[in-house]
Amino acid sequence: MLLTVNGQTAEIPDQRATDPLLWILRETLGLTGTKFGCGQGLCGACTIHLDGKAARSCQVSAAEAAGRRIVTIEGLAGGADRLHPVQQAWIAESVPQCGYCQAGQIMSAAAMLRATPRPDDAAIDAAMAGNLCRCGTYARIRKAIHRAAGMERQP
Amino acid sequence: MKPVSRRRLFRHAARLAAGLTVFAAAPACALNPLPALPTRGMPSAEARIAWLRLLPDGRVRLLLPRQEMGQGIGIALRQIVAEELGWDLDRVETVLPDTAAIAPVKSTVGSDSLKDFAEPVARTAALLREHLRSGTVTSEIIDHGQPLELRSLRGGGRHVGQGHPTEQIAAIVTGAPLYAADIRLPEMMFGLVLPVGAQLPGLNEDLRLLRLEDGRSGLLAAYPAVLHAAAARIARDEAPRAMPEIDIDAAERRGHLEHAVRGDAVAREAAWTLDRRYNIPFAAHAAIEPRSAVAQWHGSGRALRLEVWTGTQDAFFVRETLARQFGLSVDAVVVHSCRIGGGFGARTIVRQELEAALLARAAGRPVKVQWTRAGEFLDGFHRPPSSHRIRARLDGQGRIVDWWHSFCSGHVIFTSAAMPRWMQFATSLVKDPGVARGAVPPYLATRMRVEFSDLRLPVDTGPWRGLGAGPNGFAIESAIDELAALAGHDPLQFRLLNLDPQHARLKTCLEQVADRAAWMERPRSGAGLGRGLACGIYKDNSYAAVIAEVAVAADGAVRVVRLHCVQDSGLVVNPDQVRAQIEGNLLWGIGMVLSESLPIEQGRVAAYTFADYPIPKLDEMPVIDIAMIAPPQAPPAGAGETAMVCVAAVSNAIAAATGRRVGTLPYRPAMPSAT
Repeated sequence: MLLTVNGQTAEIPDQRATDPLLWILRETLGLTGTKFGCGQGLCGACTIHLDGKAARSCQVSAAEAAGRRIVTIEGLAGGADRLHPVQQAWIAESVPQCGYCQAGQIMSAAAMLRATPRPDDAAIDAAMAGNLCRCGTYARIRKAIHRAAGMERQP
Repeated sequence: MKPVSRRRLFRHAARLAAGLTVFAAAPACALNPLPALPTRGMPSAEARIAWLRLLPDGRVRLLLPRQEMGQGIGIALRQIVAEELGWDLDRVETVLPDTAAIAPVKSTVGSDSLKDFAEPVARTAALLREHLRSGTVTSEIIDHGQPLELRSLRGGGRHVGQGHPTEQIAAIVTGAPLYAADIRLPEMMFGLVLPVGAQLPGLNEDLRLLRLEDGRSGLLAAYPAVLHAAAARIARDEAPRAMPEIDIDAAERRGHLEHAVRGDAVAREAAWTLDRRYNIPFAAHAAIEPRSAVAQWHGSGRALRLEVWTGTQDAFFVRETLARQFGLSVDAVVVHSCRIGGGFGARTIVRQELEAALLARAAGRPVKVQWTRAGEFLDGFHRPPSSHRIRARLDGQGRIVDWWHSFCSGHVIFTSAAMPRWMQFATSLVKDPGVARGAVPPYLATRMRVEFSDLRLPVDTGPWRGLGAGPNGFAIESAIDELAALAGHDPLQFRLLNLDPQHARLKTCLEQVADRAAWMERPRSGAGLGRGLACGIYKDNSYAAVIAEVAVAADGAVRVVRLHCVQDSGLVVNPDQVRAQIEGNLLWGIGMVLSESLPIEQGRVAAYTFADYPIPKLDEMPVIDIAMIAPPQAPPAGAGETAMVCVAAVSNAIAAATGRRVGTLPYRPAMPSAT
């Protein structure tokens, strides 16, 4: 079984086809930026992009992801030593405290901004409701999304 | 003057980079009567000097004597070092050291890190500064206890007082490995220890059952998906357990409350101005990172060594516990500290580290343990429930004459999660300081009686952000607010009237937050809008006042619209990070009032997912206004738990909006008001 992750093709043993994509990414491919938080699709820490849309990688099997474009936090910027505008905004607004949920937050935010380049607070609240942060960085997440929206080059 | 200690720090660059062996290392461990939560003295001068290493490229590395869980201690201590050296910030780097690299230091708890470590780190950096200046870099650094100018603690420097993001932010936003579960070793397997009394899931060729050294059973798999699927099938012991009633009336009926915090006699028969109960439920830490650890054994016989990676609030306690468990010297155990994905008091005992070590020993391979979300709720420990009764009498001017706060609670510091049974019994004779935290109000009363009873509960309880200060602050500040109303005073004026004059810093916080929120000019409460005020002191060194504005919808649903907070936690090294801590506290206060309650059924936790234990979401974050103030020369104090008193500002605002006092947390619109 072949997976396309961050533009690269990876061979996955067929016996692992029903495994949640989260564990394939983390332990088979070593892409540990995608986090395990609950395994039930309720916290958003494992958020990735599937064909450009935010998805909870704990709720998608490897087989379901095969043939689709998988992007993780490691591949979001599209190259080493580059930062996606959302990642830049996260640094500029000093968002993280413990940081554990932030890869998932960033992936959700980046997917939302692709669909809604200039979101208002209500759109942000709706898109980010599935991403929990226990430290309480939400006010900064909102600010960073607005900042990134200003930075996004309009197509 | 006789040198208090010495350490050969600088010989040549190559050895420096690798670090030097400490000779004559003085153990910094004090006698510890309670293995559950160790106490250690402050590090010796010798131990401190080992925190700083000059690197071959002329930069300096600070081996952090604190754990990083998002409170921003790494960047704050880096700023202090750079300030003392007069260097650019990027000439200073920090690392979380392993337990072989520095001498033992105390747990990272209680918002103590800057209070206790700013000065020792500053002094060590200042010693290095003087040493570099004198050009004697190849000689020993000796701390004679000589007076040194500590520029960083004056405030207003080049680095101190500047905002910077948390350490490792670039790694966080790019997903680079930082946390314990990000460790991957060759041949590593995935394991879990079965809860006592659990029924095994069906085994298959992908899932092995192991008998562990301590008599428990473990499951081992080559793939985490196999293990997590098995974990979901484990049938736990669900036999009902008796849960003692946490009810202050029941506790008072049983007789006198055994622990006195303030012991004045109060007249019991005369009428009370106020007599109220406040009930607070179990609460979970609910950090997004589940407990995780990786263990690897090396060698055999006398050369047996254990290496563990974990996110813990006390790596040395982990080392000592593992050494004792496996009959090793502490030098044979190395604990690597990883960034913690949310601490909040949950990472103060040794669980996942021991599990990983037991599993790796039985498997003969490195093993990674990562708790499931259900495990976090079912096998973790939690903030105990508490039940409070506050009785008070006012004089004709609105001054508090009698104040009697009685309460009962499960344990906090004397946690059953890490104590043998005999010790649990022994500690029932001693006042649990965690339960008592924040129980003395900042107000004057002619007679003050504060007393409590603690009860051993079948569900493990322990430290949770702020310990007793959150629940006690809720009860005290709710009662004060209602007393103000009964006296016909404004809540601000009533607090200022009754405040103990020694708490001038809290008075300033109150006055300033009132100014920021235009409190005295606030619109009349009612019609679904209300504002509430609360204030508190954390651990006698940190002060906060909060004003909340809430909107109550027709269906009773409450939304916190705006929060103002003024906090005085002394010198602010990094205002961006202190502000972040306050933001977190404010959200925790909202969670305490509006959502958080760990369900218990038949004496057992009955939460399995975040759906069973909702924590605040992004859309619950109100507009926030924060000011950090401090008197000149005030040293840095605790900043991470003070603003929890937000809980009472929110509940007082609900009372203002609805006309009904909040007596039981979390607030439920249909709930009857306090009795």
